Amino acid sequence: MNITGLAILGYGLAAIGPGIGIGVATHGLCTAAARQPEMKGQLMGYFFIGAAMSEALALLGLVLFFIA
Amino acid sequence: MGEALELFVEEAGHIYSQFESQTVFSIGPWGVSQYIVWLLIAFVATTAILLISARKVQLVPSNKFVGLVEYLYGFVRKSVGEDVIGEGYEKHVPLLATLFFFILISNVIGLIPGAKTATGCVACTWALSIISFVYFIYYGIRVNGLWGYVKSLCPHGVPGPMGPVIWFLELFSTLIRVLTLAVRLYGNMLAGHMVLGVFSLAITSFVTVGLAQVSAGIIASGVLTMGTSLLWLLLLIVMYALECLVAFIQAFVFSILTASYVGGAVHPH
Repeated sequence: MNITGLAILGYGLAAIGPGIGIGVATHGLCTAAARQPEMKGQLMGYFFIGAAMSEALALLGLVLFFIA
Repeated sequence: MGEALELFVEEAGHIYSQFESQTVFSIGPWGVSQYIVWLLIAFVATTAILLISARKVQLVPSNKFVGLVEYLYGFVRKSVGEDVIGEGYEKHVPLLATLFFFILISNVIGLIPGAKTATGCVACTWALSIISFVYFIYYGIRVNGLWGYVKSLCPHGVPGPMGPVIWFLELFSTLIRVLTLAVRLYGNMLAGHMVLGVFSLAITSFVTVGLAQVSAGIIASGVLTMGTSLLWLLLLIVMYALECLVAFIQAFVFSILTASYVGGAVHPH
């Protein structure tokens, strides 16, 4: 396997954790908004911060893929 | 079928070269790539759409187009500005709305077959994310003072010895925002267009091989190969619909993240 193949594999591995993390964040937002729909607007802000933070890991993997 | 798949795999290997910046024309020492041309087109389109719809402001817009633009502006003002930034959000709505409309229009232009999106070029998204980065740091320093902003990176109520560690982690996560904003938009747009390109290549290579087989006299196999391209076409339509959604979501995510960074800088925890 050449270096590009390894880089693609590495990006795939880097995307697992953030995928789970964003799933958990979305689950939390949906259940909270179903219980208290009037809080949805405020919760969206927290949701996006959390999703952005966990997505940052996958994006770092993508950057490393371009560097490799 | 086999030949068509081989042709497809071989052509799909070269697809990235379609997305590299190529110099279209040069102004003195600076080369202008095709992305810059699409950037200028998106800029002109954004300016024209917003100025035309804001020319005659009515209480109840009678024109459907003006109604659409006003609905999107109201959406940015309410869902992005008021809900995320909170108190004192009115000052930041112009930047958020500009970012939202520019990214949305540039993404939508990229969905036209043959056109490219300016946000599929990493230089353009770096510029956008540096604008948002400088903006929220500027407002953080202006509201809290330089030392106050530096201190506000560490949340209140953290026990003494943990303070510097948390502060350092928060500093890192603040500095990395400029990277993640840029790469998120670029990665989404580039990957989406690449997927569309791969499915289009599949259709053309299956049709080409099918036609060659029919003209060579192998009619049954040729028709089967061409029939398979209908399946690829169906997949292409589904992915295109997904890309239309992604074009909107990425514009929304970019502006809502800018809003939450500004909100975090202006109202520290």
